[in-house]
Amino acid sequence: MEKSSKKSGNVLLCALCTILIVSAIAGTVLINCTTRYNVASSQVQSWKAALQAAEAGGDIAYAELRKTILDPSNAFSGWTSSGLVYTSPVTTLGSANLTASSAVDLFYNDAVTGNPWYRIRSKGIAPMLGLRRTGMDDRMISGARGDSLLRKIDFNYDHFISAYGPNGDGIGKALVAVSHAQLARRIELIAAPITPFEAAIKAGGTFYGLGSAAFVDSYRSSSGPYDSSVKDNPSDWRYPDSQSGTVEINSAVATILGSIFGNVYTNGGTVTKKTTSISGIIDNNVPFDLPPFRMPSTTTWNYVASPSAVTGNTTITPPVAASAASPSYYLMSSFANNGNLTVNPVVIGGVAQETYVAIHVTGDIGQNTSSQPTITVPPSVHLQVYFDGNFQTKAQNIVNTSGYAGNLQFYAISPTDPNVQQTINLNSGGGSTAGFAAVFYAPSANFTINGGPDIVGAIVCKNFYANGNVHWHYDRALDTMGDVVDYRIASYVEDIR
Amino acid sequence: MRLGHSRKKCGFTLGELMIATGTGGVVLAAIMASSIALQKTLNAIDNYFATEMQQIRIIDYLNRDVKRGLAVTTSVDLQSVTITLPSYLIQAGDPEAIANPSLVGTARTPTISNTSSGPQVNYGASTSTIIYSISGMSILRTENGTVTMVASSTDQLVPQTTDVELANTEYARTSVTFLPIFTSGNLAAERNGTTLFSTAYLRNKRRG
Repeated sequence: MEKSSKKSGNVLLCALCTILIVSAIAGTVLINCTTRYNVASSQVQSWKAALQAAEAGGDIAYAELRKTILDPSNAFSGWTSSGLVYTSPVTTLGSANLTASSAVDLFYNDAVTGNPWYRIRSKGIAPMLGLRRTGMDDRMISGARGDSLLRKIDFNYDHFISAYGPNGDGIGKALVAVSHAQLARRIELIAAPITPFEAAIKAGGTFYGLGSAAFVDSYRSSSGPYDSSVKDNPSDWRYPDSQSGTVEINSAVATILGSIFGNVYTNGGTVTKKTTSISGIIDNNVPFDLPPFRMPSTTTWNYVASPSAVTGNTTITPPVAASAASPSYYLMSSFANNGNLTVNPVVIGGVAQETYVAIHVTGDIGQNTSSQPTITVPPSVHLQVYFDGNFQTKAQNIVNTSGYAGNLQFYAISPTDPNVQQTINLNSGGGSTAGFAAVFYAPSANFTINGGPDIVGAIVCKNFYANGNVHWHYDRALDTMGDVVDYRIASYVEDIR
Repeated sequence: MRLGHSRKKCGFTLGELMIATGTGGVVLAAIMASSIALQKTLNAIDNYFATEMQQIRIIDYLNRDVKRGLAVTTSVDLQSVTITLPSYLIQAGDPEAIANPSLVGTARTPTISNTSSGPQVNYGASTSTIIYSISGMSILRTENGTVTMVASSTDQLVPQTTDVELANTEYARTSVTFLPIFTSGNLAAERNGTTLFSTAYLRNKRRG
């Protein structure tokens, strides 16, 4: 028995030592693996999820902002507002209980158009699962500062509020405890107004035209009057501005004739440079959305009661010059077929003032192909015509003396009845080359123009048809003109503090 | 009675001793070999995970900066990336900070300017620049002259980034590989087996 016990002791000691060594190694492996797993599975995942939540908050805010155009009565419903800032309720999303909240503020008004620019600040929070531990690399790699600098985890307190304040402006710093470990990310988006006339011709449906000898080119009115030779002369300093006669078609059905000094976009078309004369980019994968156009809010406009209809020769001389954001506003119940409307500028001390006028015609402007209503706009007058019905006249009856297309803007309010097809017919007839300077925003209307008029301007329509040799000149000053029709995200910044 | 006799009985023969010593040596050698192998495995696993974490970190850094960038430029050898960013935060020395030092570290309100390519959002009069580069055995992130080492062991860790410009946007595609320490041949397949891919799109409309 004595011998046996001694032998057992040795074996037991050896076995324990072996187990100890192996356990120590295994334990170290386990600790390292757990820490790495904690970082990779929990912290990295939560950090990415927090951005998804922040971007979801940004999308929610963007959708509300678009409603100010598309569905004004329901815009920012359920949000709180203070001054020019709208604040969202907290939205919980996803299976990981992510939260998103955002604030929208109007921070800039375009001086020319009066269109607002909005800033969206969104915060996304992701709860951090797993152990409340920092990563290993900060302490294991000499000189490396990685994880903690990149992923700022709020283990016990919200670091952002304590260091920078709730709005990040250094005001209201406070130690705010968090209920559980979390990662928060913040983004700032700038929503820019989309103006109606970003291309020479934009058709939401089909396109046919413009005629084998027609062309679409561009110029910039602030650089001088239109010069037809510039588009063919690359050495001319104005040449870059002559190549923006862009045509955008939101369908695959397009018959493109003539020359286009600009880009051509279709939605699934087969346009190639071999079959048409196109100076710019051809992209057959550019879908876009043309939402119906609604009458904008007139609450800040200066309503003028008379005249209330255009009958025969009708002249408007507004009482004040007004502004782009708050024009003098006339509500017209009808526009006679033989009506001739002239809008005069406000004159002070013998000097014509830049005068801003808006007219809303609640019916048609011209009711049949023989109708010839005229609209005359002298220099210094900026006229916006909104109409609920159809528009028919001869191209030469649109008289914009200044030649600046942006000074005469037509907006076709989309019919509420989807079975009603709105039309704009500018049949010049007789081969007249006289044209006009104006822009049309008519996303629900079919646009037809015959003959070969010389046109300065832009159009947005449903189906586009032109069978004459039209010479169409897009003014690049139109890039930023007109009422906002939608918003796009123009800037994206992440606040990485 | 002779007590010594019983002690002799307790002893080992030479053969027994040789067998016992041999068996013990084999067992000890096995334990030593296992321990060394286990230690090597630990080392390899730790190195693998640590390098993988650096992979993830580099890609997270790059993606975050690319998304908020205005432009991305990749060097011809694909080993360095330059990103132009909006200057969102007011830094010491900026005009706003000179006028009011308490504004350092706070966010700017953007301004809008009209350019030949349309309206443009500006955060301050200038932009910020971030450069990712390899320096010796480290990967550095340099933001406006401030250097941060975001990864080490560059001999093991090799990032490559290409940027692609489309008609309406731009994106940067990144891949990061490393060579596990259990390999000795530095074969392409061994490195490629660790590749982590990432694609990040620039969110800003403005370029440059």
